[in-house]
Amino acid sequence: MAFSAYAAATRPSKAEVLSLFRSLLRTARQFPDYNIKAYTKRRTIDGFRHNQNLSDPSSIASALSDGKAQLEIARRQAIVHSLYAPSVRSIMETNSELTC
Amino acid sequence: MASFTATSISMTSLSTPFKQPLVPSRISSPNSVSLSIRGRTFPSITLQPRVPRFQVTCAAKPETVQKVCDIVKKQLALSDESPVTGESKFSALGADSLDTVEIVMGLEEEFGISVEEESAQTITTVQEAADMIEDLLENKSA
Repeated sequence: MAFSAYAAATRPSKAEVLSLFRSLLRTARQFPDYNIKAYTKRRTIDGFRHNQNLSDPSSIASALSDGKAQLEIARRQAIVHSLYAPSVRSIMETNSELTC
Repeated sequence: MASFTATSISMTSLSTPFKQPLVPSRISSPNSVSLSIRGRTFPSITLQPRVPRFQVTCAAKPETVQKVCDIVKKQLALSDESPVTGESKFSALGADSLDTVEIVMGLEEEFGISVEEESAQTITTVQEAADMIEDLLENKSA
């Protein structure tokens, strides 16, 4: 009983989850490499959609803390990658209308 | 140095104490003006109320609304014929909260703006999104 009360008390709010989602997407944008940017974005969307229907507060909380750990990793990596940014941008990011 | 009662006024007074050419940087239809130059106050001049020369529009430009609609359609995978107008609510179009966040992110990238956390949570319709984009673009260029 005490355990369920604890778990119920720590249910993450929707706003917290959405805020983490937004932070991850923003961090994804900071990578200079298009591939990593696209991967991070895709992975967060997939990850959040996969766990969309969780109802148990403790599993929601653990998914959220996983997400937060990933966010920290992504942030550090974005900084390190920016130090060694490639000089040539990926073709996917150049804003030109190429005709095949 | 000068006080205007009415809408947005800003004045810059130059530092030379003897010559006082007051250069108004922005005036919009003042109703009454009272100047005080070197400590002497002049009697206030009340201007006749005049019809404002420019209209402040609240609605966003149609191109902006159209771009927002396109991004929403792409995000929610709606066909081109589906009716997405300024009044469409995201939830009515089948978007959940994650979709809404993705849409706002897409709009940020498309228009090169940055939306605050709190403002992003209050967007529910296409028109609101377009209006906020216009505001942000205006503040950015101002």
